Amino acid sequence: MRAWKSFLRFGRDRWERFYRTPFGCLMHLFVGRMFHGGDEPGAEALGLGIGAVLSLLAMPGLLVSLLMFEKYGSLIRFLRGDGVFDPFTATIPDEYFFIVLSMTVTGAAALWRWDSIFLDRRDHTDLIPLPVSLGTVFSANFSAILILALLFTFVVNAASIVLVPVAIVGSQGSFAMFFRFAAGHAVAVLAASAFSFFAVFAIAGLLMFILPGSLFRRVSLFVRFAIAVALLCLLASVFTVPSLLLQTSVSIGHWLAILPPVSFLGVARTVWGKGNDPVVATMTHAATLAFELAILVAVITYALSFRRSFLRIPETADAGPLPRMRLAFSPLALLHNAILRQPSLRASYHFIVRTLLRSDAHLQVVSVFAALGLVAATESLMSIRTDQFFTIHHYPSADFLAIPFILSYCLIVGVRVAFEIPSDLRANWIFQLWLSPNDEQARPIARRVLLAAILPCLVPASFAATLFFFGWTSAMLHIAILTVSDLLLVEILLVKFRKIPFTCSYPPFESHSGVILIAYLFGFFVFTSYLPELERWSLADPVRAVYFVPVFAIAFTTVYSYRKQMLAMDKQLIFEERSPSAF
Amino acid sequence: MLEAQGLSKSYGSVPAVLDVTFRLEPGQVLGYLGPNGSGKSTTVKMLTGLLQPTRGQVTQNGEDIQKNLVEYRKRLGYVPEEANLYPYLTGEEYLEMIGTLRAMPGARRKTRIDALLQLFALAPHRHVTVGSYSKGMRQRILLIGALMDNPDVLILDEPMSGLDVTSSLVLKSLIQSLSARGKAIFFCSHVLEVVEKICSKLIILRKGQVIAYGPTREVLQNVGQSTLEATFLQLVENRDVAQIANEIIDVVVS
Repeated sequence: MRAWKSFLRFGRDRWERFYRTPFGCLMHLFVGRMFHGGDEPGAEALGLGIGAVLSLLAMPGLLVSLLMFEKYGSLIRFLRGDGVFDPFTATIPDEYFFIVLSMTVTGAAALWRWDSIFLDRRDHTDLIPLPVSLGTVFSANFSAILILALLFTFVVNAASIVLVPVAIVGSQGSFAMFFRFAAGHAVAVLAASAFSFFAVFAIAGLLMFILPGSLFRRVSLFVRFAIAVALLCLLASVFTVPSLLLQTSVSIGHWLAILPPVSFLGVARTVWGKGNDPVVATMTHAATLAFELAILVAVITYALSFRRSFLRIPETADAGPLPRMRLAFSPLALLHNAILRQPSLRASYHFIVRTLLRSDAHLQVVSVFAALGLVAATESLMSIRTDQFFTIHHYPSADFLAIPFILSYCLIVGVRVAFEIPSDLRANWIFQLWLSPNDEQARPIARRVLLAAILPCLVPASFAATLFFFGWTSAMLHIAILTVSDLLLVEILLVKFRKIPFTCSYPPFESHSGVILIAYLFGFFVFTSYLPELERWSLADPVRAVYFVPVFAIAFTTVYSYRKQMLAMDKQLIFEERSPSAF
Repeated sequence: MLEAQGLSKSYGSVPAVLDVTFRLEPGQVLGYLGPNGSGKSTTVKMLTGLLQPTRGQVTQNGEDIQKNLVEYRKRLGYVPEEANLYPYLTGEEYLEMIGTLRAMPGARRKTRIDALLQLFALAPHRHVTVGSYSKGMRQRILLIGALMDNPDVLILDEPMSGLDVTSSLVLKSLIQSLSARGKAIFFCSHVLEVVEKICSKLIILRKGQVIAYGPTREVLQNVGQSTLEATFLQLVENRDVAQIANEIIDVVVS
């Protein structure tokens, strides 16, 4: 015990001595800023501590690992009548899933910290005047990035490295098999995670090296959106790729091996003793090559972009003028004039839309939801049976009808969630000075923004597609039901809304926050499955559409009645999150 | 006429402003002075209606401003102590927003924004987001926002903060011209030379309480000093500034 204490004291002393060196101090600073945000104007920290962030990252792996006990527990297998099984073959789909999960979570975490990885203007202003060499700054930041990569890689996979081997081969009674399985699983998920982090980092470094600073800021958001979509597609691939791997021939297997999660599955299988299989060898080779390439590109581009971007920060403007695209006749201007009659509505609406489109933090949130919607809508599109598309019915299938419902739900909820992210709270004096708290202007403003995010593009596109394939009746009914459903969704989401978006601090975590999350998920299910099914049923006989009228009328009346019975003080405009709000 | 009557504000049990009373007539520039934490910004927030006084009231032409804040604010131009602006709007968009919130007619709003951006040397930066403006540029944007609707009352809290020499000189001259045209100006500043030169009346605050109030010359005469700097030091600071400076040097060079 005494030896342990003295060892701890020794470690602490060494750390404190290291922390007091310029390198240690800078590294500590950079690791901290990677968790607490960069230099983006107005970006407030999410208020999550490092512990909370790491717990969130570890959660998916932990939950899925616990499910493995149910799937592979000896009692469950006995009750199911499953006898002895070969874990190295039977678990290929699960192993693929774990690899995809660790890649997705780590990639998402790296995307989330994209802006904070590289040093920015604030760092330049604060650090360059100090008597610290550039080499120290460079190596401290690079070390901080490595620490972040190691931390993410370990935290995301810690639960599955421990629990998955126990759940799957814990009851097999062979230590050799257990360790072989555990080693294969650990190497594969850790390597996949690290690859994912460094791949995102390499892309960021490459863009930063190639593009001018102002262009990088604009392009990076689109690239992040594309990477997020790619990660979600990877996640969606768990339903198809494992079965393809088990069924397809060797030649197709070689092609599949290029897919990063498949290649890292090859690493696990090599450790499991299947390295002689030519497809597995190809997979492992591809994984090794991809891993090395990601790290190499990340290191080189980081070093080059450090020289190119960081050192030239004083020579570059923070941001150039925004591109001007003033049209003599703008249909949007007409729409705005029609829906924004009051000056306060007009001013607030433009403020919200501009902040949404220009703030990285807000756009990221909307992009994540848009990417989710895009992937879910693609899945729905892919599940339409082409052989039945035209021949059997003269009205659209539920999968076809669900596409705009999925997209609108994700976009509306995404924008609604983005409303909760503060912009620059100290600038609120502008609205406090000009908006009367008793005017109840928050909901009309937010409603217009939410509807403007979907109706002008989604409704015409859905109308055109339905009209093209199924004719006028289906198109008209589809658009009517979609529009009214969107209106209802917006009203529900804004039932307790009483602030100008972005002007309040983050809502506190309430005891019912979990319930709200479940409500959003349940809402997604109802909105994207139940409503399209009902709609399809009504399209089979358009007279049935009449049934929608009382249903929607009851729903709207319920929302308005609830709103009406609220106390006047609960409807007043607020600029600080003081009272709990459900939505 | 803007009038504060027994204005007090406490944060919990801590008093920030105690029984402040003054009158600001059209054509007057009222200087409001005090050290950090003396309650200047709290008073300004009560004058703009951003804070409710714990006791007392602010009236304009005899009517409590709290009764119709929106109407009162239509006649008010305000430059806050810090240039906090929404960072994702461009300078022009910010001014458009202010003009729209003030319900200025579109044509007038546009003409004034164009002209004022030009005069305040911000026209080349009108399409750049405020987040990348310098402190002085933000301050100029705030000044345009306060002036663009030709308000009757101007409340300026440290309006010269961050301004370059030319802009400061222009602002000084502008304040004098505006008061000559009958505007009532409430002017908070730490720059005593400017206050002495442009303010017709003066209030000096210490720990939330008024310790001097009256026409500038009168205040100086009553204290028996020839400059505002000496008056301020005598009334507010009871420490020898030269001695403090020497003590700082002793620490630095030791």
